[in-house]
Amino acid sequence: MTVPVQRAGDQIPAMALRGLVKRFDTKLAVSEVSLDVPAGSFYGLLGPNGAGKTTTLSLAVGLLRPDFGRAFLLGYDVWADPAAAKARLGVLPDGVRLFDRLTGPELLAYHGLLRGMDATTVDQRARELLDVLELGTGNRTLVVDYSAGMRKKIGLACALLHAPRLLVLDEPFEAVDPVSAARIRDILQRYVAGGGTVIFSSHVMEVVERLCSHVAILSDGVLRLHGTLAAVRGERSLEEVFVQVVGGRVSTGSELAWL
Amino acid sequence: MTPAGVATHPPTSPWPFVRLKLRLLANGMRGRPARVALFVVGAVMAGFFAVAGYAIFAIPGVVGDERAALLLFPLGGSALVFGWLVFPLLFFGVDESLDPARFALFPLRRRTLITGLFVAALAGLPALSTLAATAGTVSTAAGLGGPGAAVAQLVGVVGGLLLCVAVSRAVTSAFATGLRSRRSRDLAVVLFAVVAALLGPLQLVLLAGAENADWDAVAALADVLGWTPLGAPYSLGLEVTAGRLWAVPLKLLIVAGTLAGLLWWWSATLERAMLGAASSGSSRARGDVGSPTGLLLGRRLPRSRFGALVARETRYWWRETRRRASLITFTVAGLFLPVSISLSGGSAGPLAAFVGALAAVALANQFGYEGNAYAANITAGVPGRVEIHSRAAAHAIFVLPLLLLVAVVVSVVAARPERIAGDLGLLLATYGAGLGLVLPVSVRAAYSLPESTSPFALSSGGGMAKGLLTLGVMIGTLVATVPLQILAFVLGDVWLWIGLPVGAAFGCGAYLIGSQVAGDWLDERTPEVLAAVTQGR
Repeated sequence: MTVPVQRAGDQIPAMALRGLVKRFDTKLAVSEVSLDVPAGSFYGLLGPNGAGKTTTLSLAVGLLRPDFGRAFLLGYDVWADPAAAKARLGVLPDGVRLFDRLTGPELLAYHGLLRGMDATTVDQRARELLDVLELGTGNRTLVVDYSAGMRKKIGLACALLHAPRLLVLDEPFEAVDPVSAARIRDILQRYVAGGGTVIFSSHVMEVVERLCSHVAILSDGVLRLHGTLAAVRGERSLEEVFVQVVGGRVSTGSELAWL
Repeated sequence: MTPAGVATHPPTSPWPFVRLKLRLLANGMRGRPARVALFVVGAVMAGFFAVAGYAIFAIPGVVGDERAALLLFPLGGSALVFGWLVFPLLFFGVDESLDPARFALFPLRRRTLITGLFVAALAGLPALSTLAATAGTVSTAAGLGGPGAAVAQLVGVVGGLLLCVAVSRAVTSAFATGLRSRRSRDLAVVLFAVVAALLGPLQLVLLAGAENADWDAVAALADVLGWTPLGAPYSLGLEVTAGRLWAVPLKLLIVAGTLAGLLWWWSATLERAMLGAASSGSSRARGDVGSPTGLLLGRRLPRSRFGALVARETRYWWRETRRRASLITFTVAGLFLPVSISLSGGSAGPLAAFVGALAAVALANQFGYEGNAYAANITAGVPGRVEIHSRAAAHAIFVLPLLLLVAVVVSVVAARPERIAGDLGLLLATYGAGLGLVLPVSVRAAYSLPESTSPFALSSGGGMAKGLLTLGVMIGTLVATVPLQILAFVLGDVWLWIGLPVGAAFGCGAYLIGSQVAGDWLDERTPEVLAAVTQGR
């Protein structure tokens, strides 16, 4: 049961996945995933734990080599033309360490220079990002000593620094406090309004329902459902659709009776 | 199971720890032929060590030479204990698959934890092969002094093994706790200096003794060592043979006392390790001092991608405990070994090769140090060669001044200051050759390190990999620089003049070849390297 993807005219999709397959030892982590993320969309990738969200996003941005299939970012093949594909891409990976023996400002400067930006621009943008995300422009704490939420925020700042056209965010709201989460939502919404594309993974329905124009539901490495939010959701709530598609159990009330 | 399902008495048996360790070892090898091969190689080496050790220790018994046994047992035993003390610090690291911090949440008494970890440490190849090797002394004691001596020696051998394991555990644990908090890095430097200070004099004494062949002095040394915790366990049987029964309980007391002391020390440092001494760092939120790029690059480095990579690497060499420990070890070993050889009149030439190779070996698993943080460089699309050159450059910033220091100190100590340039040439050549070998190896043989703040932590099986890689690169570098060594030897005084340029050119050439190969390999295998250094995949 698949809702057809709505193509916005003849535009090149910001991200296009074609038949991605990835196998770890005996487990099929991602199976034949094909997906178009239209430019200018706010795309939510939903799935229960272990569904293959992180693996799919890693395959898409070139951190993991797929067994089969191809991935295109803004029209460039990730494996054939990595430099062009990655130039306009910002990534916030989940479960990946940052270079955490640097301080926040040092880390931002590192990312900026790595992207080939000139030092003045890096300094100006880094200060602004540290200020907006309330990380402190003069903070000399090493990132390794940051709290989980602060680490998410500095990771997001690193992904935004070079003003990419496509943002790939893995669980951007996890462990972030409500105030910071609201600010991040604000930044992302403005970014999309300005023509950028965001694809992010989450398992929090409320956030996805509030932010996204499109959603895709992944479970057991298979893309179950994708399309615009309205088309996927239909008349029901997103949570209902999700639980039904993923095949979650309904509590009978008799298990864990000893608790 | 009680109806409530709650165990009221926490378990006190150490066997779950042993089973856990063996299970971790087995799971670590499942479906990984490379790990299995490494394990087999390690087992063969351990077996060889056991057989050779047994043979050496059993010879005096076969020949019936009591004097030889009196020399061999205390000296050989001391060397063993000393090896257990120094080798984990210098080369192999400690298998931290049973990291004490992981047990912090279980209702375990400290006594149970210590016994469990201790017994688990005994259940390993090094401990087994040490036991087998020293069993040769029992056979000798039986041959020389009958069953009584054999029983006493058996007790001594077991006590000696316990001592070996306890000393390695206690010292590495103390070190790990010491280096954990960033503020106490000075303490670590001091402790390393102590180890090195032990290494130097002992070597001098041994070398002097061997050269003068003054057997009385060696016998006196052996006698003294026999009364220290190092040699006491291994001379128990001999005391029975010599009829000095009164010495047996005294020496047992020495062993037991030392063992108790070490275990107490270990448990004290373990406590701190379990609390995870989360250092607060310097969280002074000062005003806006300096621009972000200025903070990262300082004044000298270029405001470019290469500059940023080098700056990040130099920060890591100083701020990451594993890297810092390897730098400190290199400094100490690089200075003390050549100096002690020079003092005893040896030639520093071959040692130059050793020191240069030792420096390069620190990069053997350079991608493993920061784990999957390397993903940032991949998404930024850093080309392989830039990555490799920047890492080598950052390492050289630390190592080149040290090599100069080694050359100067060695020449001055040997009272041959005219050799500074030639020695430096040899050092540069071996460092360059070592890099040329180690850089491709680091791309091909990257492996993951646990996300631990302990500089000695290795994932299970990693110790073997690290030791073998280190050994392989060392031997490779020595072989690669043999022509240069021969040239320096043949040319004699001419080398004093041409040594520096020739050595530097040789080193640069070797580095360039190796870094090109490594860079190209990295471009081909970027995601594979990332997967290799990612923990738990």
